[in-house]
Amino acid sequence: MKSLKNAQTPAHSSPSFLRWGLLGLVLLISLLLPWTLSPLWIRIATEVLMWAGLAQSWNIIGGYTGYLSFGHGAFFGVGAYITGITMLHLGLPFGLGLLISGMAAALMAVIIGYPTLRLRGAYFAIATWAFGEMIRQIATILEITGGAFGMQLPAYLNLPFFYYLFLLMTGLIYLTIYLLLERSPFGYKLLAIREHEEAAEMVGVDTVMIKIKAFGLSAFFPGVLGGIYAYWVTYIHPDSVLGAVITDFMVVMAFLGGIGSLWGPFLGAGVVQLVNRYLWLVWGEGTFYLIVIGAAICAVVLFIPSGIIGLLESQIFQPRTAWKEIRKKVKW
Amino acid sequence: MLLESRDLTKAFGGLVAVNQLSMTVEKGTVLGIIGPNGSGKTTFFNLITGMIPSDSGKVIFNGEDITKLRPHRIARLGVGRTFQIPAPFSKMTVLENVMVSSFIHTSSMKIAKKKAWEVLEKVGLDEKADFQVLNVTLEDRKRLELAKALAIEPSLLLLDEVMSGLTPVEVKSAIHLIRQMHRQGLTIIIVEHVMDVILSLCDRVAVLDYGRKIAEGTPQQIVNHPEVIRAYLGERYRARS
Repeated sequence: MKSLKNAQTPAHSSPSFLRWGLLGLVLLISLLLPWTLSPLWIRIATEVLMWAGLAQSWNIIGGYTGYLSFGHGAFFGVGAYITGITMLHLGLPFGLGLLISGMAAALMAVIIGYPTLRLRGAYFAIATWAFGEMIRQIATILEITGGAFGMQLPAYLNLPFFYYLFLLMTGLIYLTIYLLLERSPFGYKLLAIREHEEAAEMVGVDTVMIKIKAFGLSAFFPGVLGGIYAYWVTYIHPDSVLGAVITDFMVVMAFLGGIGSLWGPFLGAGVVQLVNRYLWLVWGEGTFYLIVIGAAICAVVLFIPSGIIGLLESQIFQPRTAWKEIRKKVKW
Repeated sequence: MLLESRDLTKAFGGLVAVNQLSMTVEKGTVLGIIGPNGSGKTTFFNLITGMIPSDSGKVIFNGEDITKLRPHRIARLGVGRTFQIPAPFSKMTVLENVMVSSFIHTSSMKIAKKKAWEVLEKVGLDEKADFQVLNVTLEDRKRLELAKALAIEPSLLLLDEVMSGLTPVEVKSAIHLIRQMHRQGLTIIIVEHVMDVILSLCDRVAVLDYGRKIAEGTPQQIVNHPEVIRAYLGERYRARS
């Protein structure tokens, strides 16, 4: 009976000391990175960290809960602008500005989530997309945001500072997801909602409340990250922090890495951003990379819907089973 | 009286699925509901559990008007249900599925896991606790439906065709299971097409046709009721018995 019980436990579950060791190693490398890299690559590493945080934030509502938000970039932009406004016009310290940004983004998510999270499928996606567009239009016409010209923040040119700040924030995001979504009732309820919302209600899950909380949480982090980004690049305008491309990248990275998983968005962000920057270094400024990434996404959605993480978690890297696993995972 | 519906009505467009249905269920009894397809049995369940709003009428549970309550509140009051087509959380394990129900009473992972295990043992699914739901058979999915409903520790259990699609042997063990739960004091409403199940489990049987109750009584009264034979059982059933 014991063997039967364990028949379905995934074979990939490596011993926990190995996992923690690997995690420790990655953290150590991340901490030492700024001493070994050129400023260009520190910049790229910083971007990877930021996108890893953003993709994971989207993953809370899009991956774990199954509600595709196509307006998530708005929370990033709102965070960027609010941090700018609190520093420029209210003279508040940067840290406090970040906190206000995160809370404002979360509050917005709660307000728009209350009516729209009752809409399933495409309707929620369209509603959030419209919300994102609305925020962009508002930022373009308001005086306090600098309108279409944008906003100049006080300059603080200290690349390692921003690298470590993003490392801290993204680390916090992943820790939160691990504790709250992978190891607590809240995460189980989110999965239940994603898998069968009505059945979840029948066993006492307050689906509306849980979804609103998840949406608020998934907006809080982009708000903070947006604030850090604004202070880092010192100049923001509606297209740079509220462009549709911000949302697109969050979605694309989460999907490529594997939605609904802890490390998927991180891998997705790393791959997409590195490829993106590599193509940029080779071909210079352009939009060709979007075509490459678009093609990659089509391939992932069609052939490996569980993303990179799904491939890694299968036994694909054990020589004997590799071919069998590929046949199983990849739909021809 | 544990559950009472008063003149409950629900129409979908021009179709009146449940028509002024009044029904009472005494504590500790098993009520069977039978009727042709589309006679409003599942809709009746959906109205009780708050899954769809009623057009008019009332549902009283344990003396409390639950007509307007949201489904999760009704579940917390102690109404559990199973779905006719099993509705598991597919990408979770069997144990995790049941744990979601256990969270209704506790927010501790440890206690939820322990309680879920107990329920799985009760329905005979403990050996498959770590299986992904995608990998279990239809019978086990039906058992899982039951486990999920039981794990909220309900006082009223609504079973929607838990036997359909099962083999005679599986039906027998399911009947045994339901009888056991009934002995432990659970009040049960069963919607079922398999007459043997209704006859061997129910204290009372209600017959629905076009959303109306056309008969109610003991199983023996029901199988001899001319209206019921005409609308549902058919002449051949009378001939056989």
